[in-house]
Amino acid sequence: MKRFAPFADNVLPWLTLTTMIAALAMVFLYVPNERVQGIVQRIFYFHLPAAWNTFLGFFIVAGASASYLWQGSRFSDLLAQAAAEIGMVFCTIVLITGSIWARPIWGVWWTWDPRLTMVIVLWTIYAAYLLLRHLAGDTEQIARYAAVLGIVGVLDIPLLHISVRLWRGIHPKIERGGLAPEMMWTLLMCTVAFLCLFAWLLWLRLHNLSLREELVTLRRQALATA
Amino acid sequence: MEHTSYLFAAFLAVWVIVFAYLFALSRRHRTLANEVEALRRMMEQKGESH
Amino acid sequence: MLALLWKDLLLEFRTKERLSSLFVLSFLIVLVFVFALSPEQIQSPTIEAALLWVTLVFAGMMGLQRSFLLEQERACFSGLLLSPIDPGTLFLAKMLSNVLFLLLVELLVAPLSLAFFGVPFSRSLLPLPVVLLLGTVGFSALGTLFAAIAVRTRAREVLLPIMLLPLLVPLLIAAVKVTSAVLTGGEWNGVWFRVLLAFDIIFVVTGWLIFPQVVQE
Repeated sequence: MKRFAPFADNVLPWLTLTTMIAALAMVFLYVPNERVQGIVQRIFYFHLPAAWNTFLGFFIVAGASASYLWQGSRFSDLLAQAAAEIGMVFCTIVLITGSIWARPIWGVWWTWDPRLTMVIVLWTIYAAYLLLRHLAGDTEQIARYAAVLGIVGVLDIPLLHISVRLWRGIHPKIERGGLAPEMMWTLLMCTVAFLCLFAWLLWLRLHNLSLREELVTLRRQALATA
Repeated sequence: MEHTSYLFAAFLAVWVIVFAYLFALSRRHRTLANEVEALRRMMEQKGESH
Repeated sequence: MLALLWKDLLLEFRTKERLSSLFVLSFLIVLVFVFALSPEQIQSPTIEAALLWVTLVFAGMMGLQRSFLLEQERACFSGLLLSPIDPGTLFLAKMLSNVLFLLLVELLVAPLSLAFFGVPFSRSLLPLPVVLLLGTVGFSALGTLFAAIAVRTRAREVLLPIMLLPLLVPLLIAAVKVTSAVLTGGEWNGVWFRVLLAFDIIFVVTGWLIFPQVVQE
């Protein structure tokens, strides 16, 4: 992780900033209005990349958890923890932007369409993971339990997807096949910007967590030499 | 259809959430960094006094 | 493994209070539903299916907590782990004993609550226990795994529902759908039945594989 530090500390923030500015410019200045929904549709350009980040977070948690269980590397555990928090941030963004978008378009603050429903359940799984870590303390045992939760959570996703889909109707398709090229580019730019944001936030949290580790080690040393 | 206020609200929400998290992180970071510094200094002093 | 199962069953049946308290609890939850809604509102089989499963999930969670709490208090678990029994098998035994235990209560509560709500169920006499069994298996698979985790943490009472409920969503939806199909006399072994089955298989296997990570000291 130390190897990444110079790149992460110096490059990531600026990369995020520039891609975000570019993305915002494209969303507000470049892309044309969508025919049916008008200007509000532009929320989509942030809503969708945020959703992808949520899933990315989930998979990182699962991967890091599996790695932790099988190899016991402390870094994997920290990675899982950080990814869960960042994923939770983006999950909240998806839900809130989704709700704000729903209001003018469908007239209600919330709909139980399959995708939003799935995201809200994912939010509760994230919440369960974070609550486990916060409520139960910070031992190696809890880290293992959290890893179990992380893995089982990700295994639940396909079942969730199928059952929620069958349970409800279809997510109002945003002319997926018929996305104009300007829209595609804008979406692409936003996805890249959001990925950079994810990476930067993840890095910050990881740095934070490793500092905490260092603190614990130092404290132990201090007590030992006292 | 002009629902510009909703558009504005959504983008505002995104930034508020992201910045709130960044703020919380930086605050925790500063506290941690300070403690680490303080401990390190203390250890060094101990090392010198031996 | 049969020996383990037998031992668990003996333990649970000796404490007949557990069975009866779980039964009374489920019964009370059903009553709460009756009073929160009105008997007329509940008469629909679909709603009744939903209420039944909500009851079973919540009562079941409390049943699970108790089951592990007892073992924890008596430190039986450490004893079991020292023996050369593979933890995966331990999981299956624990899970199965939970299934049987919960199923017994369910087989009493379900007909009773259906009778209360005036929902005819004589034609569901065969498929209903099947649904109950499948739903309970899925519930116990994840429940046993996470109850084992929750009981070893500080905030155990609140953590089990927090961890378990989100993951149970597919099971809940599927179980209610199949049960309501059974009660309305519709086709109950369609797609939702397969979802239920898939859930069971996936999480029994997962629990079996991952339980060793939980009990490893």
